[in-house]
Amino acid sequence: CQGPSEVLYQGYVVDQETLALAPVGSSREQVLLSLGTPSATATFDNEVFYYISQKRKRSAAFMKPKIVEQSVLAVYFDKDGNVERLGHYTMQDGKVFDMIARVTPTGGAETTFLGQLLRGGASPGNMMKNLMSN
Amino acid sequence: TLVSATRAEAAVVNRIQVSGADRVSAETVKANISIQPGKTFSNADIDESVRRLYATGYFSDVKVSVSGGTLVVVVNENQLINAVVINGNRKIKDDKLEAVIRSRAQGPFSETAIEADKQAIRDAYAAIGRSDATVTTQTYPLGNGRVNLAFVVDEGDRTKISQINFVGNEAFSNGRLRSVILTKKSNFLSFLTRKDVYSEDKLRADEEALRQFYFNNGFADFRVISAEAVLDEASNEYVVTFTVEEGQRYNFGDVNVESTVEGLDSEELKGLIESRPGKVYRAKDVQDTMSEISQRVAAKGYPFARVTPRGNRDLGNGTIAVDYLVDQGERAYVERIEIRGNTRTRDFVIRREFDIGEGDAFNQEVITRAKRRLEALGFFSSVNITTAPGSQSDRVVLVVDVQDQSTGSFGIGAGYETGSNGGIKLEASIEEKNFLGRGQYIRIAAGGGKNSRDYSLSFTEPYFLGYRLAAGFDIFKNEDTSEDYYNVDTQGFSLRVTAPITEDLSTTLRYNYTELDYSAGVANEPYISTPYWTVVGQSPLVRSSISHSVTFDTIDDKTLPRDGIFAQVTQEFAGLGGDSDFYKLSGKARYFHMLLEDADVIGSISVAGGHIWGTGDETKVYDQFKLSGADIRGFESGGIGPRAKKGKMADYDSIGGTTYFTVSAEASFPLPIVPRDSGFRGAIFADAGTLYGNDAFTGSDKVVGTSASLRASVGASIIWASPFGPLRFDYAVPLKKEDFDEVQRFKFGIATQF
Amino acid sequence: CQSDPDIDISKLGMENESPDTLYNQGLANLNAGKVTEAGRKFEAVDRQSPFSDQARKSLVMLAFTSYRQGRNEEAISAAKRYLALYPGSEDAAYAQYIVGLGYWKQIPSVTQDQRASQQTIEAMQAVVDNYPDSEYVEDAQAKIRFARDQLAGKEMQVGRYYLERKEYIAAATRFRVVVEKYPMTNQIEEALARLVETYYAMGVDSEAQTAAAVLGHNYPDSEWYADSYKLLQTKGLEPRENSGSWIARAGRRLMGA
Repeated sequence: CQGPSEVLYQGYVVDQETLALAPVGSSREQVLLSLGTPSATATFDNEVFYYISQKRKRSAAFMKPKIVEQSVLAVYFDKDGNVERLGHYTMQDGKVFDMIARVTPTGGAETTFLGQLLRGGASPGNMMKNLMSN
Repeated sequence: TLVSATRAEAAVVNRIQVSGADRVSAETVKANISIQPGKTFSNADIDESVRRLYATGYFSDVKVSVSGGTLVVVVNENQLINAVVINGNRKIKDDKLEAVIRSRAQGPFSETAIEADKQAIRDAYAAIGRSDATVTTQTYPLGNGRVNLAFVVDEGDRTKISQINFVGNEAFSNGRLRSVILTKKSNFLSFLTRKDVYSEDKLRADEEALRQFYFNNGFADFRVISAEAVLDEASNEYVVTFTVEEGQRYNFGDVNVESTVEGLDSEELKGLIESRPGKVYRAKDVQDTMSEISQRVAAKGYPFARVTPRGNRDLGNGTIAVDYLVDQGERAYVERIEIRGNTRTRDFVIRREFDIGEGDAFNQEVITRAKRRLEALGFFSSVNITTAPGSQSDRVVLVVDVQDQSTGSFGIGAGYETGSNGGIKLEASIEEKNFLGRGQYIRIAAGGGKNSRDYSLSFTEPYFLGYRLAAGFDIFKNEDTSEDYYNVDTQGFSLRVTAPITEDLSTTLRYNYTELDYSAGVANEPYISTPYWTVVGQSPLVRSSISHSVTFDTIDDKTLPRDGIFAQVTQEFAGLGGDSDFYKLSGKARYFHMLLEDADVIGSISVAGGHIWGTGDETKVYDQFKLSGADIRGFESGGIGPRAKKGKMADYDSIGGTTYFTVSAEASFPLPIVPRDSGFRGAIFADAGTLYGNDAFTGSDKVVGTSASLRASVGASIIWASPFGPLRFDYAVPLKKEDFDEVQRFKFGIATQF
Repeated sequence: CQSDPDIDISKLGMENESPDTLYNQGLANLNAGKVTEAGRKFEAVDRQSPFSDQARKSLVMLAFTSYRQGRNEEAISAAKRYLALYPGSEDAAYAQYIVGLGYWKQIPSVTQDQRASQQTIEAMQAVVDNYPDSEYVEDAQAKIRFARDQLAGKEMQVGRYYLERKEYIAAATRFRVVVEKYPMTNQIEEALARLVETYYAMGVDSEAQTAAAVLGHNYPDSEWYADSYKLLQTKGLEPRENSGSWIARAGRRLMGA
């Protein structure tokens, strides 16, 4: 095996020549045809397509993969649906900060330890198997 | 007796007249038809109404017609079942059978339903290996259309499998093939193992097992021509016959990679090929190579590339040349990963086993790896991952269907061990592998034997702080009164964290804190050797150490290893406070290999060794290495190695040694006379080793055995993979020993593997 | 292990009490709080004279007693049997309501399969649609809201899982599902705030500002908006309040969804 470190490509797989197929002025269908469905569109007015790709590196099997490269290709459309301009955001534009810790409460029954053990736990099969072998 | 309704185009009725429904109220009949007075209806409505009336199950015949302005509904009622009972069943409980049949109290008494129920009960019995069970019914009328129904079951006796034959096999003997398949011949243990229960899908699984076995031993053209089971009614036994065509045995021809995806050159990928030309053809090598290449290709940024193997046979000199084609698959992305069926396991415990997230490229290799990981968790009775079309043409939704199984167990275990502190051991334990559905492991156990009491609690979190680190702690307490003149109480805890480096290699860091308390009455001093008496005086003592071990494990099957290596090197440094100061280095390795494929003979060689360097003033006696009966068979635990004279007594205390080396070679084979699938195996072995050197303070006592003299023994053992766990009987004869060694030829115990 | 004793079916006579007395005994037990005993009485009526009016009433009471004993599956199947046999009758609304309650009781925490929430929504929606003027509509709608909050909560839980691992596409898509499918749930504020965080972390400031603006526009005094505002401020950004038309369209979409 090729050593412990591993490279993971996540998100949209960019290849150079298809990028050239969606120049400024091309229509929305043409962009969809050449670049495929976007990773995300603008949340509220979907006049923007975002193609997001990330490259991560994991130095050893137990480590968390760390982002080494990230590129966001933004395709902005004008009112009648033609590409107005292209934007490109990289790792440098991204910010590092702590997520908000608060979580909106949700309901639903929590399984307690004893509840889980009694309800599904002590299956006769296990009892028998354990009877002899310690 | 279907309906004959006079067809009426869009007509209207102003009255509905129901006849024949004396028990079922007219309102119920009217409520179940979609035709209302005054509303137009078509013949579709009539059919719908008839269907719904039948669906209630209360009518054996329904006639709907229109005459003048009234809709005439003539029904003829089924009898009603007042109570349903099942008699004569012992092996399958009432509630299990009641869940299978359709007739139930207050339901309709219909012949067709009863016939179907009889067949359902027969199928239930066939599934537990009683194909000749018969079912009859009794009825007892109660008046005004009410009846009691009883199913009477005659369970017959166990349907056995008398023979399993193979036709057309030359390369492998019937015995070897029998050990490959799951279905087994009936033997004295079958009532426990239940392996001799014949079932259609088990037979299919056996065919697949045979195919895999032959494909992995060079027979690429192997075919199962037929596999059938013939039931001999008289003797109530099955004869199972597999007819196979082995075809030619192949070696690998030349092997290469062709890549049509630019940016991926074939040369570089060639290094990953597992199958070398000239080696025996193995389908597993081809699969491994495919997954290696697709992993490497994905890692180079081409997740859509597809790897397809193409083998072309050269019948002349019996070789298969394999070409691995790498081409561009279609670009599809995973839109969403839907996890279903997890009634207990938390969503993230399942999701974190996937290396891809939503929005990433769809890659079959990653999905098979996730499925393997999920199954290895042991939380689920079934895991299957299917793909469903996404919202766009290039989008796919992964549907992960899991079935939670019970992972907790109350255990009451009993064990028996020969040897000095052997005897009967009893233990009660609570264990939960999927604590609160978070994937955490917890085990609480208390146990005791003739002269020992031990208690333990251990807990492990497999994903500590989001890293794939299995961190946990163990708390233990042990009272040992097996020695005649002093008792030992130990208690403490250890904190540990295990990190996988690659699939096979992992490393563990551990901090151990142990309190030891040697106690003995003053009057016992003449009966105890000085090293022990010193620690009695110094008790209670503390040992605080950190240890680091690296484990390499490629064993194929933990219960019966046939191939692979288990190697572990551990170093321990004690001296972070506490009274022990040493640096200990120890290691062990065991290598398994099939010696004779056909006779299923497995060879294994194991090597172990260790040395302790005292880093403080003197080494405590309990820190020195001691060899147990399992390290070198034929000797008691602590039977060899340095010993110090017990004060005025004639005999000696074993005080362990600073250095030890052991080596053992073993060959295990199925016992000839006993049926192979009963789980019995024999083994012959030769052990050798030595334990020498002493740093413990011995005062004026006479010390023997500090020289590195070699001990050796040969022996044989019987191993039984019983339904209660692996049992092992060893008989060993020491060939070379010192006269003061304590010999123990016969040893019996629960065989713990690693 | 003991096996079940065989029963001689000729001995199994019919209960002779009239359906009325059995039904009233059931009610008496229920009022006295002996729920299991009441359940047995209602079952007897249902068995003995299955098509009488008391049988109809006792079937729905059987569904209620099973529900009260926490035997949700039995309650649901009894209520469904009632709806099959007496679709138009007066207690049908109550039976349908019991089906909804039976599923509602089994809703697990958001980290587990939310099938029960989905079933609750379908059953309670049937109460609202088929029996619009029944007294159970109000509570049915409350249960629907709770179940939708659960479904939204599950999307948020998975979204947060991906956000922590910095898998921004997955996170953004999950939060967006909440904004589009569950705008009227209690999770909407957090969904918008998480969208701000996701796009801000990626450096796509315009999206972060839009989400913050919509959050501020609809929930001006929510803690989530305060946090998002503070986050944008660290880069000197303002939630894009000013470009009127765009916000109006976004805000209206949110309200109208």
